[in-house]
Amino acid sequence: MRHPFLIAISAGGLALLAAIAISQETQNAAPPSNAPKTNTTPAGGSRAGFNGTPEQRAAATRVFLGLGSEPDKAAAARGAPIFQQNCAFCHGSQAHGAEGPSLITSDVVLGDEHGEHLVGFLKSGRPEKGMPSFAGLPDDQLKDIAEFLHLQVEEVANRGTYHVLNILVGDASKGQTYVAAKCMSCHTAGAFDHFASKFRSPDQLQRGWVWPTRPADKSLAITATVKTADGATISGRVTQVSDFRITLVGSDGQTHIVDRTPAVDVQMKDPLAPHQAMIMTLKNDDMHHVTAYLETLK
Amino acid sequence: MRLATALCAAVVALVGPALAAPNVSVDPNAIGKPPIDNWTTFNGDYTGQRYSTLIQITPANVNQIAQQWVYKITNLGGQRGAAPVIKCTPLLVNGVLYITIPDHLFALDARTGKELWRYDWVDHGGHLIGQRGVGIWKSTVYFLAPDNWLIALDATTGKELWRKNFADARKQYFSTSAPLVVKDHVIVGVGGDAMDMPGFLDSFDPVTGNLQWTWWSTPRTGDPVLKTWPNEATSQHGGGMTWMPGTYDPELNLLFWPTGNTNPVFAGQGRPGANLWTESLVALDADSGKLKWYFQVSPHDTHDFDNTTAPILFDKVIDGRPRKLVSQAARNGFFVTLDRVTGKYLVVKPFVPLDYYSGLSPQGEPIPIPDKDPSVGGSINIVNATNWEAPSYSRRTGLFYVNAVEGLAIYYLTDDSAHPSGYSGTGATIGLSRRVLKAIDPLTGRSVWIHEYPNLNNAATTVGPSILTTAANLLITGDDQKNLIIYSADKGDVLWHHEMTANQSDGLITYMLDGKQWILAGAGDSLYAYSLNK
Repeated sequence: MRHPFLIAISAGGLALLAAIAISQETQNAAPPSNAPKTNTTPAGGSRAGFNGTPEQRAAATRVFLGLGSEPDKAAAARGAPIFQQNCAFCHGSQAHGAEGPSLITSDVVLGDEHGEHLVGFLKSGRPEKGMPSFAGLPDDQLKDIAEFLHLQVEEVANRGTYHVLNILVGDASKGQTYVAAKCMSCHTAGAFDHFASKFRSPDQLQRGWVWPTRPADKSLAITATVKTADGATISGRVTQVSDFRITLVGSDGQTHIVDRTPAVDVQMKDPLAPHQAMIMTLKNDDMHHVTAYLETLK
Repeated sequence: MRLATALCAAVVALVGPALAAPNVSVDPNAIGKPPIDNWTTFNGDYTGQRYSTLIQITPANVNQIAQQWVYKITNLGGQRGAAPVIKCTPLLVNGVLYITIPDHLFALDARTGKELWRYDWVDHGGHLIGQRGVGIWKSTVYFLAPDNWLIALDATTGKELWRKNFADARKQYFSTSAPLVVKDHVIVGVGGDAMDMPGFLDSFDPVTGNLQWTWWSTPRTGDPVLKTWPNEATSQHGGGMTWMPGTYDPELNLLFWPTGNTNPVFAGQGRPGANLWTESLVALDADSGKLKWYFQVSPHDTHDFDNTTAPILFDKVIDGRPRKLVSQAARNGFFVTLDRVTGKYLVVKPFVPLDYYSGLSPQGEPIPIPDKDPSVGGSINIVNATNWEAPSYSRRTGLFYVNAVEGLAIYYLTDDSAHPSGYSGTGATIGLSRRVLKAIDPLTGRSVWIHEYPNLNNAATTVGPSILTTAANLLITGDDQKNLIIYSADKGDVLWHHEMTANQSDGLITYMLDGKQWILAGAGDSLYAYSLNK
């Protein structure tokens, strides 16, 4: 059973885990790894990530959030320098506000789709509030400013568009020391050769070493030994477990389903238990250092 | 224009040959009373206890209960690509059940599970993430549409009486809540944290839909509490949504309302300060909306720790003195018990393993450690310990029950500028998440018993579903392997289970109808009805 998050990685080069918390579904979704097989509504940002490109993820999140029509990115790119020159002084480079208000939640901006209202607004300005007229700019440039603003709204509101920043903030030499001290009791020399090459980005590397994926060859699968009521012992890879039933696949490939009556004893073993123990005490600095070190192993 | 489209689109679908729908009417004085043969509010009564005095189903006969009918939602199409999931708590009045999913309200015959009528809304924005159910007053049902319409319907026919828009979906406000009816007030909360808007709570007239009062979750001009924000602009973009129904004490005439996360969500650098009254439990006068007291459970939140888990009201005698108390198993992992007259704390104690706080303030508020905030390189902290799913308090055992998750995630800051906006962060779970059902003594915050759900899929950090307790020492809730489970409330022993087609997804209710005790459970697109086999 592969971890859904890693399905996302392998499938799409997903730049980022979807938003950690879809407020009302963090509830069920919490961080991005919410399993699509549970009854939880795969909320917003996370759903598209499972098998789509970043663009598809952004588009699906847009639909989920009920955002308006998609901004014209080419026009927004043309509008960016015009905005920086004429508007950023008051409204900030990303329109989040500076001397003047943030435009992300502006009624004028949100009431506009593709410049049909904003162009006229920019021409007249709002002199009573100190906003000058921009009638000197041609209509197509004003329209490009409008698209730039819509893109700023998109980049705030649509968390499917989010990307991590440069997460390589650690000290590689300290990371090497940590690995030598803490990891080599389980891992063999050379285990980390070319480690970073396995990941598409440093944040995937970071999550990948902290909590490794369970590979397709089942070598890190959770196993169980079950003593049944009639005294038989069954061992194998666990594919399902609840308070009432356990399903195992034995080494012979046979599936065994056992009802967990009081007479049945179940002992489960997780090969990732040492990583779980490490995670419980892992400090942010050590995590950053190790990631910086492993990133050098390409 | 949007309005005109919506007006044409909302329809009531009467199903098949008209079933004889009973006339539905509830005495306003009966709303919020302990539920027996009706279930008139989201939590059954005003306390939020989700405790039933019914004793027909007992530990001795529980193995004889069986599924009597199933109502499955069909033919509705996708909800913007997602399958419909019942996340409401049904209301029951005069043998009519009301259940909801986003954009749709269904009236069912409680005896058969047959659909009496359905109301369909065509939204123009808003999130379809869930719908918690309706409110009722006399013969009017109140339903919230995702794009922030309060819709009043005739409870017998489903005919729309009036509607009122109360928030702008373009600003990412959206509605999932169940209105809470208190006296002649329809109390409506709102959600939406994608765009840094302020939360609020509205009270409407049940007859006319006129606005009676609004309480804002962040301070307005001139309020001394503005000192918990760098300036007025950040306060007015500071979040604190009110998206879960609160509870109510008629004697004090106080609403106890939980407020959601602060905005921007994961980036706190632009809003130094405690950021009141986000992440708080607030006590409001039900007639005026005036704040009586507040307790901030997550000062300066940077982890989307919406404090929206139900505040449960209960009374205890402490040192010989009767006390009015309120408890919350908060999403930030703290169990909180307060005096609900004054807001002063008795217990503030973690109920999941966590290490992100350095101590408590003199008022009892956890003090977060800045190094645990989301960062560019990633910062490890707990996943949400609980969420909207309802806990329960048993008056028989005196214990507070909650489904929780113990787990960790790496939180990243995706905007480290001085003026971040929106979520500004993201993250990834790490390690095994442990799903647990805990029975907590609300006077100590300690667990009396814990049931760990076996789980292979790393729990998916799924918070367990809602809980119901009864006077027969039953505790009912679901696991994440599609089982509905009944435990003994005092010890946590498993007494009964039934595998459904999906995990329990809604609030459970129980009631007497025609001399039989029923238990209803929603799971995915289906509503299951159980009673004793006879």
